[in-house]
Amino acid sequence: MKKTLVFATVSVLISVMSFLSCKKDDKNDVTEPGLDRAPMLTNYADNYIIPAYTAMVKDLKSLKAKTDVFVANPDAATLTELKSSFEAAYITWQKVDVLEFGPAEDVSLRMYMNTYPVTVTKVNSNITNGGYDLEQFGNKDAQGFPAVDYLLNGNANTIELFTTDAQSAARKQYLQAVVNKMLQKTEGVGNTWVSYRNTFVAATGTDVNGGLSKMVNAYVLYYERYLRSGKIGLPVGAMTGVAKPELTEAYYTPQLSNLLAQYANAAAIAFYEGKSYDGTGSGASMKTYLASIGTKDDNGTAMADLIVTKLKQAETRLKALTIPIKDAVISKRPEVLTIYDEMQQCVPLLKVDMVSAFGISITYTDNDGD
Amino acid sequence: MSRTLPDILSKAYLRKPVYSASLAVFRIVFGLMILGSTVRFWLKGWIDELYIKPQYFFHYYGFEWVRPLGQYTYTLFALCGISALMFALGLWYRLVAILLFLSFTYIELMDKTNYLNHYYFVSLVLFLMIWLPANSNFSIDAKRRSALLNRFIPLWTVGSIRLMMGILYVYAGLAKLNSDWLLKAMPLRLWLPAQNDTPVIGDLFNHVWIAYAFSWFGAIYDLTIPFFLINRKTRPYAYIAVVVFHVLTSILFPIGMFPYVMIVSALVFFDSADADRLLMKIKHTWASLPIAISDNVFTFARLRARGILLMFGCFFLLQVLLPWRYLLYKGELFWTEEGYRFSWRVMLMEKMGYAQFVVKDGVTGEKIAVNNNEFLTKNQEKMMATQSDFVLQYAQILKHYYEKQGVRQPEVYATIYVGLNGRRSRLYTDTAVNLADEKDGLKHKTWLMPFSDKIYGL
Repeated sequence: MKKTLVFATVSVLISVMSFLSCKKDDKNDVTEPGLDRAPMLTNYADNYIIPAYTAMVKDLKSLKAKTDVFVANPDAATLTELKSSFEAAYITWQKVDVLEFGPAEDVSLRMYMNTYPVTVTKVNSNITNGGYDLEQFGNKDAQGFPAVDYLLNGNANTIELFTTDAQSAARKQYLQAVVNKMLQKTEGVGNTWVSYRNTFVAATGTDVNGGLSKMVNAYVLYYERYLRSGKIGLPVGAMTGVAKPELTEAYYTPQLSNLLAQYANAAAIAFYEGKSYDGTGSGASMKTYLASIGTKDDNGTAMADLIVTKLKQAETRLKALTIPIKDAVISKRPEVLTIYDEMQQCVPLLKVDMVSAFGISITYTDNDGD
Repeated sequence: MSRTLPDILSKAYLRKPVYSASLAVFRIVFGLMILGSTVRFWLKGWIDELYIKPQYFFHYYGFEWVRPLGQYTYTLFALCGISALMFALGLWYRLVAILLFLSFTYIELMDKTNYLNHYYFVSLVLFLMIWLPANSNFSIDAKRRSALLNRFIPLWTVGSIRLMMGILYVYAGLAKLNSDWLLKAMPLRLWLPAQNDTPVIGDLFNHVWIAYAFSWFGAIYDLTIPFFLINRKTRPYAYIAVVVFHVLTSILFPIGMFPYVMIVSALVFFDSADADRLLMKIKHTWASLPIAISDNVFTFARLRARGILLMFGCFFLLQVLLPWRYLLYKGELFWTEEGYRFSWRVMLMEKMGYAQFVVKDGVTGEKIAVNNNEFLTKNQEKMMATQSDFVLQYAQILKHYYEKQGVRQPEVYATIYVGLNGRRSRLYTDTAVNLADEKDGLKHKTWLMPFSDKIYGL
């Protein structure tokens, strides 16, 4: 036994020494820079995520300003300005929606910002009865962009509702409360990101707490559930065979739905490719990291490239759809289903091929790899 | 080491006396290891997370009746932990060994999502330990009944534990003799770069040749280590290798207690005289401890010895055959996983799946898209999406659930994509097959899609 202890000590020493000597040799060696996760996380944090929240906050501040102007003086001109500010902010949201991890996930930002369809009866009863608390989970489908969309575009007589209607004062208050909540939530996340940034970049591990696995899991979930299903799959009833146009995003602004889906899809591609938020630059990304790992399909095409090709095929189909999604799911079903199929092909590529190659499959508990 | 196989199997050799200290020390460290493992499991909150929170559990074929016990699952773990401690102390040894074996094994059978080869190994060793006179030295039992004290026991008792370890290692090595592991360095080629932020050695893992070196070294290590451990001359170096190898794997992979179980268990290969010398030193300091000093040899009653040897013979025959059962199945083992478990296939695959289920009303044709998160935990979903027997059980879960929800003659269809060792993901099952109609069993599952590539080797 004594011998054993000596062996154990010696072996630990030997292993440490061999590690050290290997390290020394390694210094002169060329390592694969693309496999370094810190620059990738840095690029995402500094060039996409933080600017994205800054832009979102800016747009929401502008939305708030236009809301205040409209509320003070509801007429056709102020309404038009408000609507265009709303649309701009909703488009910006499509570039932020993909970031639901870390600070955003902690406060369920998406839930407050974009739970659709909006439950109209809930909005109206909140307006009528007052005393609502938008922080509450139960009000998630009575606020955010969908509620603003309903309030501005849900009725033909919007201006009347905000002027002569018996509930006009309460309605104004509600609109302001909803917009304020959106701004408050987003500002909170944006501010948290400033300090979270260093934590995120330093978490280079590939376990559940690593920056990469958090980001990739959020990205993959976003693509599957909120882009593919949320924007296309559920309204067209891809899995159930029954169209539900009322599930379309921006239901009360039909021409906007398609635009939102296109921006979301473009954001998904840009994010994968590590483009900066404003699209002018690009850096280390999921794509370059995957390329460095070097997995290939049966024909020898790099998976990193194949994913872009597939994402872009879906984009082409999406752009070709000219009539509003809520109508197309009924009148142009095959066309919408094709968009869904293209997106559906991307899901396993992201969720299985990419995640598997990254070696970040979920490991909450012990696992011997089998 | 020039003995031939007939020599080794001869009665005289099997009965050769060795120091019982060896088995006693093994009993203590193994018991404490299980105790530690149970406490760790408890403290990490896994009892709740793995056995109480989930709504559904995946059972082993034939063990459908083994289920978590709600809040009493804590009692079960407590029973297991206390038995492990008493096992280590050698108090009411036989009874406690049986209790420990049963409680530990029951826990492992509750949900196959949590199957780990090393838990299986612990169960098997505990089964062997029930029949061995491991309390004949340095045990409370021997303190209470000094007649139990025996300084020597027959070689086959310790030998059976060594044999079990040998089987584990050799089969783990044989399982690595395939083209993915040796020629493509898969899956280490994917797993090592993921660890490139490990302090000091991290940079190494960016090199593909390191993945090859690790793969080949791992295979050779597993295949040869029991032989180097059994040989007196090579044993010290072999044990160093055991420590280095398992410490390295524990740094790199989330494999929990496994490395430590192996490092500790490998002590059983040491000369029993070493263990005796240790106990003698302890005895020297604490004379009152129940440590055997007179040279008694433990003898089994003849019938009993025969019975145990016959049983162990069957046990080891089964152990030797079981890993080969995959040959009875059609298709690629890594893809179907038919005959994969209980075969010491450790860390062999990077396999991921994506499974989407649709339930269809058999009368109205109405379809419901299933959200897996409403039924399964993330771990369960992950396991389900890559293993055919899980897929089938899940389909049955969905069938029964939706039947209760008023769906008539529910049909269950799955679209599953699986990626294996860096290959592009492919359809795993036939999307047109109604899985609600398929029966669970040990036969080949015909609704699996064929594997699109070929993996050569064992």
